[in-house]
Amino acid sequence: MRNISLIIRRVWKSAFMFTALSVLIVSGTQAQDAAEGRKIFKEKCTSCHSLDRDMTGPALQKIVPTKSEAFLLKWINNAPAFIASGDKEAVEASKFNPNAEMTAFPSLTPEQIKSILAYVKVGEPKKEGEKAGAAVQEEVSGFSLAGVVAVILISIVVLVVLGRAIKMLERLILQKQGVEIVEEEKVSLVAGIGGLFKNKKFVFFFILCLVITLGSFGWMGMWETGVHTGYQPVQPIKFSHELHAGTNQIDCQYCHSGAFKSKNASIPSLNVCMNCHKQVQARDSHDGNISPEIQKIYNALGYDADKMTYDKSKEKPVEWVRVHNLPDFAYFNHSQHVVVAEKAIRKEKGLKPNEPVCFACHGPVNTMEEIYQYSPLTMKWCINCHKAAEINGKDNAFYTKIIEAHEKIKKGEKITPAALGGLECGKCHY
Amino acid sequence: MESNKKYWKGLEEYKNTPDFVENNKNEFAEPLPIEDVLNEAGLSTVTPRRDFLKALGFGLGAVTLAACQPTPVHKSIPYLIKPEEVVPGIPNYYVSSFNGQSVLVKTREGRPIKIEPNPNAGEFNCGTDAQAQASVLDLYDVSKLKAPVLKENEKATWAEIDAFVKGELNKVQASGKKIRIVSSSVNSPSTKNVVADFTTAYPNTKHIQYDAVSYTGIIKANENSFGKAVLPKYNFDKADLIVSFGADFLGTWISGEEFTSQYISNRNYKTLAKGKMSRHFQFESGMSLTGTNADTRLPIKLSEQGPALITLYNAITGSALPGGALPNNTSADKAIKLVAKELLMNKGKSLVVCGSNDVSTQILVNAINAAIGSYGTTIDLDNPCKRYSGNDAEFAELINEMNRGEVAAVFFLDSNPAYDATNAKAFTDALNKVGLKVSFSDRKDETSSLCNVIAINHNYLEAWGDANAYEGYYSVVQPTINPVFNSRQAEQSLLVWSNAPVQDYYQYVRNNWEKNILPALGKTWNELLQTGVFAANAKTAGSYSFSQSLAAVAQSIQNNSKALAKDIELQVYESIPMRDGKHANNAFLQELPDPVSKVTWDNYIALAPKFAQTLGFKEFDVVSVKGANGYTIELPVLIQPGQAVGTASIALGYGRSKVGKAGDNVGKNAFPFVTFANGTLQYATTVTLSKTGSTYELAQTQTHYSFEGRNIIREATFKEYVKDPAAGSGNHGAKHKSYDLWDKYEKPGNNWVMAIDLNACTGCGSCIVACNVENNIPVVGRDEVRRRREMHWIRIDRYYSFEEEGKKNVTEEKEIAHMENMDRVSVVHQPMLCQHCDHAPCETVCPVLATVHSSDGLNHMAYNRCVGTRYCANNCPYKVRRFNWFNYWNDSRFDNYLNNEFTQLVLNPDVTTRSRGVMEKCSMCIQRIQAGKLTAKMEKRPLKDGDIKMACQEACSANAIIFGDGNDPESEVSKALRSERTYYVLEELNVQPGVGYMTKIRNTDTVQA
Repeated sequence: MRNISLIIRRVWKSAFMFTALSVLIVSGTQAQDAAEGRKIFKEKCTSCHSLDRDMTGPALQKIVPTKSEAFLLKWINNAPAFIASGDKEAVEASKFNPNAEMTAFPSLTPEQIKSILAYVKVGEPKKEGEKAGAAVQEEVSGFSLAGVVAVILISIVVLVVLGRAIKMLERLILQKQGVEIVEEEKVSLVAGIGGLFKNKKFVFFFILCLVITLGSFGWMGMWETGVHTGYQPVQPIKFSHELHAGTNQIDCQYCHSGAFKSKNASIPSLNVCMNCHKQVQARDSHDGNISPEIQKIYNALGYDADKMTYDKSKEKPVEWVRVHNLPDFAYFNHSQHVVVAEKAIRKEKGLKPNEPVCFACHGPVNTMEEIYQYSPLTMKWCINCHKAAEINGKDNAFYTKIIEAHEKIKKGEKITPAALGGLECGKCHY
Repeated sequence: MESNKKYWKGLEEYKNTPDFVENNKNEFAEPLPIEDVLNEAGLSTVTPRRDFLKALGFGLGAVTLAACQPTPVHKSIPYLIKPEEVVPGIPNYYVSSFNGQSVLVKTREGRPIKIEPNPNAGEFNCGTDAQAQASVLDLYDVSKLKAPVLKENEKATWAEIDAFVKGELNKVQASGKKIRIVSSSVNSPSTKNVVADFTTAYPNTKHIQYDAVSYTGIIKANENSFGKAVLPKYNFDKADLIVSFGADFLGTWISGEEFTSQYISNRNYKTLAKGKMSRHFQFESGMSLTGTNADTRLPIKLSEQGPALITLYNAITGSALPGGALPNNTSADKAIKLVAKELLMNKGKSLVVCGSNDVSTQILVNAINAAIGSYGTTIDLDNPCKRYSGNDAEFAELINEMNRGEVAAVFFLDSNPAYDATNAKAFTDALNKVGLKVSFSDRKDETSSLCNVIAINHNYLEAWGDANAYEGYYSVVQPTINPVFNSRQAEQSLLVWSNAPVQDYYQYVRNNWEKNILPALGKTWNELLQTGVFAANAKTAGSYSFSQSLAAVAQSIQNNSKALAKDIELQVYESIPMRDGKHANNAFLQELPDPVSKVTWDNYIALAPKFAQTLGFKEFDVVSVKGANGYTIELPVLIQPGQAVGTASIALGYGRSKVGKAGDNVGKNAFPFVTFANGTLQYATTVTLSKTGSTYELAQTQTHYSFEGRNIIREATFKEYVKDPAAGSGNHGAKHKSYDLWDKYEKPGNNWVMAIDLNACTGCGSCIVACNVENNIPVVGRDEVRRRREMHWIRIDRYYSFEEEGKKNVTEEKEIAHMENMDRVSVVHQPMLCQHCDHAPCETVCPVLATVHSSDGLNHMAYNRCVGTRYCANNCPYKVRRFNWFNYWNDSRFDNYLNNEFTQLVLNPDVTTRSRGVMEKCSMCIQRIQAGKLTAKMEKRPLKDGDIKMACQEACSANAIIFGDGNDPESEVSKALRSERTYYVLEELNVQPGVGYMTKIRNTDTVQA
């Protein structure tokens, strides 16, 4: 349900944004400049600047009004050259952050720069309407949910009441017709059941059914014991693979770099998160505050987003909950599968060319809001694939000799991992 | 051709003692508790059945409940900021040095977990010894202090320590009293510089180096003979004839692993194939590792060593020094005359070494070596060894200085005289008179507990440093882990206390290298960190002539000999596992069986069988050993074949009282038996023995597994070998007829096999420790070893054979062989591990298919399948399977060894730890095979020979273990297995083992002049 409401909220938000923007566009050229400027700003400036906060560069809404447009045009166009020219003001301005020099943007035309300045002046399109809208939307979704439940409840009540009424009416009709109503019905029912239990055939049949039912439940239960398909623990940070791998199309390897080198795919260390999240703080959707989930990264690192400083003493590692648990006695190596066996696995699992090989076992990660265990990870599951997949030995010199040797024995048969000893205990258990 | 030579693992077997026969008769080594079950409290009462049902019901319920638990929550905690070079799951290797030997340290996720030899070390890349292999465990020792100690305050800060020590040092400086730094030999150039800087700051400082096991005798003798106070570099590889008088050069003498590598290069299968082999005589009293490897070993008493050397000198030079007679040992006397003849024939190609620390004796050895032209060839005085430079006299003088109250401050660096000084009592008494006592020990040991400051030092795996083991040969020590506890490098502490300008020791070492060492070599610091070693061009070894009068020397030797001949002559020696006792808290080393006696977790007094009989002692009788100085200890007797009659041997390094949980009070301290005479420490003394009436069973692995006298050791003499390379290998004539019950296994891809050269294996045991560390093999402790439950996957079987008159292998030396006693004993070491049989008997009896065969020739063991019936172990003809009687990694009974959170950081994450109730055995380092294959696959190339190395193979100094693909005809192992010497143990059973052994060759035939 939460997912649905999220989607609805997102749709609402974009609708409002669109409306707000169109209103702005209509409201005149300056607004148009600002819209254009906003676009350029998001593209080129956000990695160092924010409107109202000091980042690598100063807060623009504070600094821009203090400077002349001529200065700004020169500065934004090519700050390094400007500073090098020895301009006093420029040199002074460069002292804001001695560690980082303002990047030069020679490609920006003065008009574009002006539009950026216009955007800085106007600021982010007002969000009052959006806020209200969001509240309404919240109410709507809450209302619709409650409505459905209410309708169902009411209809059940109506049905029950109607049923009673019908029974009553029937009784009345029967009474009118003068038919005696037999009140012993219930007693006879109990007696009937009692009688049934004296029937040996029935007892046998009943017990048989019971045994079969319990047995099959037990059997199924045993097979399912220790199998945690669908396991979706609550994680300390609500990290969305759907957003990162799906919407933003970030490659799996960017974070799970170990998968292609090592047995461990490895959960990324927080410095990898910070590559983006030093800037990406999702303030837009949190009233200008840092998203609480992103704030958790900062807290773990002891990072102060305002001062942009790290405090080692506040470091506290993030304790993720493992989703994919293999027992200690089973050895699994990611790199073996995603590097060496990539083609074989793609073929066997029928992955589309644009899907990463990881999906073969981890499922459609790009649609998982929260990650869950997609495959059963049972030994049977491993073995079935090892029996079926065909080793692609052609472009790997390692296999040439080995496959040659096997060809001699099993002419024409498919070379699977199983044929090369991939089902032997010691290959995974040591 | 079957050999008719008989081999014994122990005297029980040789003599067929009733106990041994009884034990061997039983299928199970331990009695089965059948009696307990069948007595009246057993089956006849109702309780057991009801109890059984209760237990069954409870068990069933508990298992069901346990199985129904929801998904267990496992935390997965990534790095906050991952170091760039770390990829979880991939090991990193760093070069470092252990005791001057360059090594590679394997780390996983920042934890050092294995020590391997450094392939860049060139001439000095010669495997690692057991100490180096086990040293990684010392890092994770729970008995270490966690913070520095200032006057009993175990939570002192470094600022407090610095303030206190500096204050005291200033007072000492003002008073003009002496400051002493007491250390074991230091060869690190940077440490030497630090001491020099400290001495500049406090000019009353003197650096006193002393070694618990000293080589001062050789150094002083060289000074006396040639004016060079050095320990020479010995070249055993250049010697065709080696004569050793009590020097255990393959084991503990100076640098065992280097000498092993050199020595074996003249005796391994490649050299033999060229028809060459060196020849080695050993004259010694106790049975040493080197003695067991000698072609001819003759027991001589300690008092006979001096006369024997004089005899040899006289025979070589034709002079007539007095005292050269061995009236009571005619066989040795004759052997020495024979040796003299051969030495003269091999001038310039032979080497005489002596284990004595007596200056006179070593001067005589110098004279002999000069006479046979060893200098410049087999002995190199110009590129000397710097491992030992201790001066016994200086340490003795220190005690006098302290007693006179002249010393006001003393620092102990890597030294523990309160334990290992010969006169420890005098030392500790004198120490009371010193004001400032600082120890750099990492724990509260015997000495540091008497100090006011314990400035805990880093482990070498946490430290920067360097070493200079030989002239011109430098290696670096670099940290592989952040300091675990609040320790500080000793050198840094000294720099801080001397207010040095550079106090950071990394910077200091680097500056020192960049200023003093690297420019001469034309290398950079970063290159050093990659290769780990740099060797300057060695100087040409000069030849030296000996031109001094030996009259006084001979007199001194004679006096010593007379003094020793009075009582029972006792030799105290370093044992292979324990050495000088520095690593006594290392459980891997404590459980490493002594290569000769196979005793673990104890020292003992070794006596010859005949001698023990005359004294009225039986094996394991506890006797009271009283030294000439009155020091008395009680030790159990071990009957040691080959021990010279009239002598006894006790290992040093035991009996530590304050070393930690594992090593405290293991064995008895023998250091007080060492005497100080003629300016050096003497390791031979006299004792009297008396019975105490009690007995003590030593934990021996010796006779735990019996081969029932089957023909598993094949041996030939060199003469036979030259005539027929297959001599003694049993590869001639009709073989035992074999029948196959099973189909042949197809091994189309790889076929992992191993070849073991019995002629190269010295039995040192470093492979055992390497295997322990690599494969997470638990330590079980003394009591469990007594119950035959040691877990070692590879063991080294030691077989005695007694040379009998008239039998084949008795050679030209017939007349000197004395067969009626067990003095003349020869020894063969045979590493025994899972043979990975193609038709494995263990596989056929496993009811749950937990042990099965693989298509690459391995015998797999799936622990998670094993239900612990132990049928496989019973059916294994090689007795190499080990049963987990306990959950050693999680059982409080084993807390003293490896079972604690900190120590478990040493575990290899690629190998699972086995639980209680499952079998385990050598897996042929399958994790290494799989890793090697994966690397090749990722690089899209075929596997190369040598890509995959076993842990045991890597550690072996002698290259006795060769592993590889038997399907590749060009692989090293295929070539080795094609050798005519190759045979398979218990071949006649037709289990088709994957491990081939090469016959032991003994060069006992004399080439007659």
